[in-house]
Amino acid sequence: MGKKIVIQPVTRLEGHGKVTILLDDSGNVEDTMVHVVELRGFEKFCIGRPVEELPRIVTSICGVCPWSHHLASAKACDAVFGAQIPSAGRKLRELANSIAYTEEHILHFYFLAGADYVMGPDADYSVRNVIGIAGKVPDIAKKVVRNRHLGARMLEILTGKSIHPVAAVPGGFSKALLSEERDQLLEMAKEILEFAKFSIDFAKTKIFPDYLDAVKTIGVIKTGFLGTVTKDGTLDLYDGVLRMMQADGSFEDFTYEQYTDYIEEHVEPWTYLKFPYMKKAGKLSMDLENPVGVYRTNTLARLNVCEKIRTPLAQKEFEEYRSKFGRPVQLTLLYNWARLIELLYNAEYAVQLLQDPEITSTDIRIAVTPRAARGIGCVEAPRGTLIHDYETDENGMVTNINLIVGTTHNNAPINMSVKQAAKTLIKDGKYDQGILNRVEMAIRAYDPCLSCATHNLDGTIALKVDIVKASSGEILQTYKN
Amino acid sequence: MANGFSGYESKTVVVLGIGNVLFGDDGFGPEVIEFLQEKYTVPENVVLINAGCSARSILFDILLSEKKPEKIIIIDAFDIGLKPGKIFEINIDEIPENKIDDFSMHQIPTSNLLKELRDASKIEIKIISCQPENIPETVSMGLSGKISNAIPAVCRLVMKEIKKQPVK
Repeated sequence: MGKKIVIQPVTRLEGHGKVTILLDDSGNVEDTMVHVVELRGFEKFCIGRPVEELPRIVTSICGVCPWSHHLASAKACDAVFGAQIPSAGRKLRELANSIAYTEEHILHFYFLAGADYVMGPDADYSVRNVIGIAGKVPDIAKKVVRNRHLGARMLEILTGKSIHPVAAVPGGFSKALLSEERDQLLEMAKEILEFAKFSIDFAKTKIFPDYLDAVKTIGVIKTGFLGTVTKDGTLDLYDGVLRMMQADGSFEDFTYEQYTDYIEEHVEPWTYLKFPYMKKAGKLSMDLENPVGVYRTNTLARLNVCEKIRTPLAQKEFEEYRSKFGRPVQLTLLYNWARLIELLYNAEYAVQLLQDPEITSTDIRIAVTPRAARGIGCVEAPRGTLIHDYETDENGMVTNINLIVGTTHNNAPINMSVKQAAKTLIKDGKYDQGILNRVEMAIRAYDPCLSCATHNLDGTIALKVDIVKASSGEILQTYKN
Repeated sequence: MANGFSGYESKTVVVLGIGNVLFGDDGFGPEVIEFLQEKYTVPENVVLINAGCSARSILFDILLSEKKPEKIIIIDAFDIGLKPGKIFEINIDEIPENKIDDFSMHQIPTSNLLKELRDASKIEIKIISCQPENIPETVSMGLSGKISNAIPAVCRLVMKEIKKQPVK
């Protein structure tokens, strides 16, 4: 008779994820389901509101990447109003985006994914967390905190607020950068750049070598990829065209307005969260041997779809990464390596933008006029392509809205990676806490937004693992951290 | 900035209003911070932070900072089945296990982590809460009347707590 293993957080329903692993009679994995509860009712809530309010409201959707929502929303408003924003306004938005990225990627690498790597996935729960890291590598922990403080302070200087941003407005940016502020920011950005350089060296010499076997086996699936590039294929996190790459490496570029021609959403009965897939594939299949229509977003995807990176140090790292792992890279745990290359890119790009004389221009915003229109704004959020699609009436009131967030794009591949990881690691009913941790690792590599709800502050996912005899419902064993 | 991170690492008292304003009474914590900012002047050693759903990263950083505050006051709506609007304090050690879950609604730490902060860092942690009437499943902004009415009293409690801390 089959067993059911449930990995779930010791938390209430809202926003949480849970993993169910179904074992067949011989104790092998039959199927897995990753449950993610999405934000419900947001679209309805927005209808009838002035569209220019949305860039401020959307920052409450997520405590983890408010900047991404803020910028995607401002861009959708620009499109609705038909506004071409001034070049300096765009650069200020990009600067804010890059700084926010450095904070996020540092947090994820060192504390969320990092706990698994630094302490080891089999380490006891009591040390496999941020406190464990602080004890094992205290100097690094201090640097992490200092650099995150720097990022937060930079956003405050640049925009006035770091948690609930309001600086990007339809038509541009609301706060010009003074030259003395620029000087101050430049010093801070250079310090973050040094830390980014340290981080990738540290990971390449001290962390990744020990996990190359795990990288090659855990959560590996074959999918397509979605990301944003400029017209010449350069990685761009703020603006460009969307590039959908097939698993064989062939790709097509399309504009934001065409996204519904390329992306379709599938519904499964056991979760509210939709499963976007490549529309041209005609259907979605999450079969591990023959997946159809599945694509991934986030760092691994972005580095797969792009041809190059515009900053020199990140480009060098990118070349090494590509020559080592090829294109497209399918190894799920390499999300973490790709994340560090993006950290370096963002730190370098922040310095570049601050050295651009135009960054202190006061020509940062144009006036906008309401009209009946549809506008689509996309950015690359740390977790993947973020799409805000708005329609307004002639008074600028919202009549329709659709959002696709990074974690949603990754819903199908997260489910597949967990299934693959579970199949690799659980054989003949044998498993222990370490194996379950590795299933978690496969999820965590995607940095899913469920992480914001389910991670404890110490960087782990709060877990309750019930092993249930399917026929009787009897709980055979419970693991809890 | 009262609403950001800035300078909290140099403060001895950090007041965090936690919750998501998109979900009815879950917006209690942030509303309390706004009220405090509007109606009160806090001493220089105190920072008021509308943490929204971002408490996680702030507490992460506090935990690892060399210079830590002496006291953290957390303000958060938290359903323990009392009369809506009832104000109460929670002792970290006394939270019944089945209620620990409620702490994670919007990225607030589980009590274990709060214990960690308190024990490992010797930070005094106060949790001031209010029984919500309605935390909807779908997005709906605005506090219910009874919760809204509790804000001034909660602010007085917070100010009392703040004043217990010697100014350095």
